[in-house]
Amino acid sequence: MDAALELRGITKRFGRIVANDGVDFDLRAGEVHALLGENGAGKSTLMSILYGLYHPDEGEVIVRGEPVRIDSPRRAIDLGIGMVHQHFMLIPVMTVAENIVLADEPRSAGGLLDVHAADAKVRALSERFGLAVNPDAVIEDVSVGQQQRVEILKSLYRDAQILVLDEPTAVLTAQETQDLFKVLRALRDDGKAIVFISHKLGEVLEIADRVTVLRRGKRIDTVPAEGATEASLARLMVGRDVLLRVDKAPPHPREPILEVRDLHVRDDRDLPAVQGVDLTVHAGEIVAVAGVDGNGQSELIEAVTGLRPVEQGEIVVEGRDRTGAGARDMVVAGISHIAEDRHRRGLVLNFNLAENFALREYRTRKYSRHGWLSTRRMVAAARSLIREFDVRGGEPETLAAALSGGNQQKCVIAREIACNPRVLVAAQPTRGLDVGAIEFVHRRLVAERDAGRGILLMSLESEEVRSLADRILVIYEGRIVGEFPPDATEEELGIAMTGGGRREAA
Amino acid sequence: MSAAVATAERERTVTARHVGWGAIALGVVAWYLALPPILVRSFVPSVVLGVVVIGAGAWVLGRGETRLGWGAIAAGVIGAGGAVASTQSGVGHLQDVVTWSALFAAMLRFATPLLFGALGGIVSERSGVVNIGIEGMMLMGCYFGIYGADIGGSWVIGLLVAMVAGGVLALVHAAFSVTLRADQIVGGVAINLLAVGITGYLYVDHYGDQGTPDDVSRVPDVTLPLIKDIPFVGDAIGKTNLMTWLAILLAIGLAVFLFRTPQGLRLRSVGEHPRAAETVGLSVIRTRYLAVIASGVLAALGGAYLSIGFLGSFNQNLTAGRGYIALAVVICGRWRPGGALAFACLFGFSSAVAQRLPTFSDSGAVLFQALPYVLTIIVVAGVIGRSRPPAAIGQPYTRE
Amino acid sequence: MSAVDEPLAGGALGEPGPEGGGQTSAARLAAYVQGGGVIVPLLTVVLAFLAGGLVILVTGHNPISTYKAIFNGTGLNWLLPWTSSADRPAAALNLQQTLILTVPLILTGLAVAFAFRCGLFNIGGQGQYLMGSYAAVWAGSSFAGMAHFPHVIVAALAAAFVGALWAGIAGLLKATVGANEVISTIMLNYTAIYVGDYLFGLGGPLQNGAQRSVPVSNDIVPGAKLHVFWGDPELQGLHIGIFVALLALVVFWVVLNRSTTGYEVRAVGLNPEAARSSGMSVARNYLLVMAVCGFFAGLAGAMDVLGWQFRIATNDIDISQIGFYGIAVALLGRNTAVGTFFAALLFGGLLSGTSQRNLDPTIFEPELASNLTTIIQGLVVLFVSADVLVISILRSGRRLMPWRRSRS
Repeated sequence: MDAALELRGITKRFGRIVANDGVDFDLRAGEVHALLGENGAGKSTLMSILYGLYHPDEGEVIVRGEPVRIDSPRRAIDLGIGMVHQHFMLIPVMTVAENIVLADEPRSAGGLLDVHAADAKVRALSERFGLAVNPDAVIEDVSVGQQQRVEILKSLYRDAQILVLDEPTAVLTAQETQDLFKVLRALRDDGKAIVFISHKLGEVLEIADRVTVLRRGKRIDTVPAEGATEASLARLMVGRDVLLRVDKAPPHPREPILEVRDLHVRDDRDLPAVQGVDLTVHAGEIVAVAGVDGNGQSELIEAVTGLRPVEQGEIVVEGRDRTGAGARDMVVAGISHIAEDRHRRGLVLNFNLAENFALREYRTRKYSRHGWLSTRRMVAAARSLIREFDVRGGEPETLAAALSGGNQQKCVIAREIACNPRVLVAAQPTRGLDVGAIEFVHRRLVAERDAGRGILLMSLESEEVRSLADRILVIYEGRIVGEFPPDATEEELGIAMTGGGRREAA
Repeated sequence: MSAAVATAERERTVTARHVGWGAIALGVVAWYLALPPILVRSFVPSVVLGVVVIGAGAWVLGRGETRLGWGAIAAGVIGAGGAVASTQSGVGHLQDVVTWSALFAAMLRFATPLLFGALGGIVSERSGVVNIGIEGMMLMGCYFGIYGADIGGSWVIGLLVAMVAGGVLALVHAAFSVTLRADQIVGGVAINLLAVGITGYLYVDHYGDQGTPDDVSRVPDVTLPLIKDIPFVGDAIGKTNLMTWLAILLAIGLAVFLFRTPQGLRLRSVGEHPRAAETVGLSVIRTRYLAVIASGVLAALGGAYLSIGFLGSFNQNLTAGRGYIALAVVICGRWRPGGALAFACLFGFSSAVAQRLPTFSDSGAVLFQALPYVLTIIVVAGVIGRSRPPAAIGQPYTRE
Repeated sequence: MSAVDEPLAGGALGEPGPEGGGQTSAARLAAYVQGGGVIVPLLTVVLAFLAGGLVILVTGHNPISTYKAIFNGTGLNWLLPWTSSADRPAAALNLQQTLILTVPLILTGLAVAFAFRCGLFNIGGQGQYLMGSYAAVWAGSSFAGMAHFPHVIVAALAAAFVGALWAGIAGLLKATVGANEVISTIMLNYTAIYVGDYLFGLGGPLQNGAQRSVPVSNDIVPGAKLHVFWGDPELQGLHIGIFVALLALVVFWVVLNRSTTGYEVRAVGLNPEAARSSGMSVARNYLLVMAVCGFFAGLAGAMDVLGWQFRIATNDIDISQIGFYGIAVALLGRNTAVGTFFAALLFGGLLSGTSQRNLDPTIFEPELASNLTTIIQGLVVLFVSADVLVISILRSGRRLMPWRRSRS
């Protein structure tokens, strides 16, 4: 088995941050080689260098024995390197065929685009590699699974021999993941060299032949998948023994504080997203809504926090009907919201910390009187919150943009908890955070639960769900299709998330 | 969501939409009845029609199609109201204003610069670069067209010089927007200011008090030998300027280019998702530069038409906001050449009518000139929600 | 550019999908406030003047003597201690002219700056200014018997409210259907010109009752004229409008930085999604902000009419550019109170220095010079548009240093 690809001593800096620090990586033809590491470890940077999107500051790239200089994606494509990006590089308004043949289009006489030839080529490829796609479908109408197949076909259309897949299973159901693995094994047996980037330990062990672990920009080790365990890989990833589960006492749920009855909500395209959801959150418990992205959980959260109109149904907080209340009224009613996307919704990055902390309550007497905003009070409140939540990297006058992701999220959490809510709605609270920050968030959420709040958690990470939740509700196509205890297996949850098999609420 | 439910929903919307558009068309007919050549002198049929249209509009509203519903109601009110007003005016006045063939010809004349500008706007915006500077590029073409024709002695040279001038200003916009990643809207405003200042400066410096010469070589009209004798059509299109035909041909050509050729596909991909385009090996920067320069050339042609095709002279700031209307045409036409042609004609028609309305009221004449601008606001506001711009428009692209 | 901006639904204009970090075009502009101090604007101005000088040179004139003549025309040499006492009276006169022009520029600059802070492009300052001036001239020429102080207040408020209404149209369209304010305000500009041409043209409803053959408005009654406190009223001395403008600057700063309204405006400008998630009504803020901007611009119209114009001719309407200069003023001034003041002073100086009255035509023709001013203005705006790059470089360098004050 010869080396299809070798990266030697790759170093890449962004300002003062060293994303890759002397990384060595080799890839053989006919293998699946996993690249493992937590967020920010440098995996995507390394592969972007391989694909010509970045230039390395030091080190060299050797493809099939020849040192090469990859200065653009075009060059990478010519060398037979294909990349399947984590966030799909697909054009939503164009068809599957158009996306696949873009920049290498078949032409008819007269220089026009030959749509038929494109369709035919796509169908041929699709059959050859077992990747079912519809060439005439428009990308935005097509399922996520099919979109990923299109991404893969893009590389295969250009005769890629080296395939890099960046977090491919992040958006797939359990079944789709298995389908993908089947395809990958077939490609591997066909002689292709595959790089599989992931932070999911279980999947890595399932599909990979070898595993290379990166931590903070450095290569830690390369081990064969056989003989490795989740725990051993986690230790390499983080450098210490990691608590994969948060330590928590059993819950003591009390009275119901949030009741959602027969909720119907429409999404941005005016299609039904939530189609009759019933759920209850009690004080002192964590209820998690789990499911594959796109099954209505985002819209559910938005409706409960007052960011989306309710078409039908009721939202009752502490016995009072709050259906249709706006965001501000929901806060007043006792619902706080840790938003899914802290950059888009949670924070105003160009405000300083004091101003960000005031976002919820700036109209209350705590911060202002008769429309007059008191900077002094804002700064004082900020100081105490920074201390209580151990926010590092800034003072009340520091811009939010200057903080790290973890500290930014701490600010958001601090603000929402400072409103003293009865219900804390946390949507993807640990997205993009490193392990240390994740531990902090999880511990805090449990603490708030023990303090008597009710927590409605929405998460796409089943690890997180099973670790935190006292009750797990699986959402599928806008309906709750099952309630599970936290010790339910991944398999049980996975089946429910794809709509098969229903287990009635206990 | 079940497919059957989705299809049923879609069908309901489709019928409501059909009714809505039909109602709007009926509203137009209601007014048309009172105008030459039909000239029904009683307003009763029009008002009846108007009521029907308003009713239909309310029904459409009830089905959830807010915009079409309100549009139909408005069409009913305006149609009936316009008919009533027309029946109150003198027949002579009406016949003066509403000579359809002359109106059509005037519409084409007013639409030409808008169409050129809009085509330029489409090319630029489809590649992802907002081009508010169309007004400025048009103005450059306006001045340099007549300057070139004057110095060079022929309108062909005038057109070439205009194209170069527009292209150069566009190059500045491209450099700032694409390479320097400047804010594109602010940059566009700057480009317009620069154009006003530069053309004004050069005009005063070169032509001073006398203004441009009267005998400057002008783009000829194209007289169609047989067609010009046909009663209505002949007056309408028998003697249209060469540039008008050029604009229409370019519109067709651009449509083919954008939607049928590989290069058009690539251009659109750069505007929709530049990173995706980059990952298949396209150069976003090069594509955008070419697109913006092309838009400058096209806009300049529109301006040149104004000075050496239509008027035969130049005044400071001659374009008077046409470039902005062209931008509205781009949006209303949904970034498609066909739509641009339609809306350019609509705004051109409003200008044509506005030009003739003074027969009704002398002092009001000036107010009628505001018609195209007011119409632009209304149409743009009404079209919202339907228009989907290229997804990555206005976002500077960074490689690293 | 899209005409669609959706304050009511999710998704601000221009957010790319997967990358997620894309800001609204106007939110980037709103971030100007965090910009790099005084250096960048100063550099911008110097560059613009250099480029302007090139234009002068290339067309066969002498840039040095031109700029010197313009400077003398501004009257700023009155402030310099070495100006001879023989030159002083003329310089004083020129300086009064400069300051007179600075008044509307401050106000139209604020009209643009306030909008930018909320993430809106108010290109309609010119139209709002004009509409305000129409109201002022009407109110000023009517109510002949009113006492001076109330008359001025009535006229000024009438102008400000008409301006607010005019801008409110664009604001309402933006707030309800999401119509892009760039297009609607530009269209309203042109409409305002034609409205004025109609009102004061021959036979128009507000045309001068006494002079039926001239397209001009009635004169405002002497009781409504603003008091001149420096210089000779017969020669257009400096009127108290300057204090109104300075007061407006203070109000601008206080509202924006110390009130809950200003806090909302800034939040909406920097991140409309986060603002919405926090319960702020983005649509309401858009409407309110546009109205306030129109208020400022309309007030500018009143200051000019009551301060030195005293009447409006259709010709004045057609050539007026002061609302557009407000854009350059706001951008150069980084949408801040202090910046707007200095930028307004700069452009006031340029305008008065290149005017027919003050510029020596043997050195440089005034009509050429006014176009030169437009070129310089365009260059300033152009360089400002690109200095987002400079600022982002500055900021990414500072991002690694946690100590940053948020600028007000």
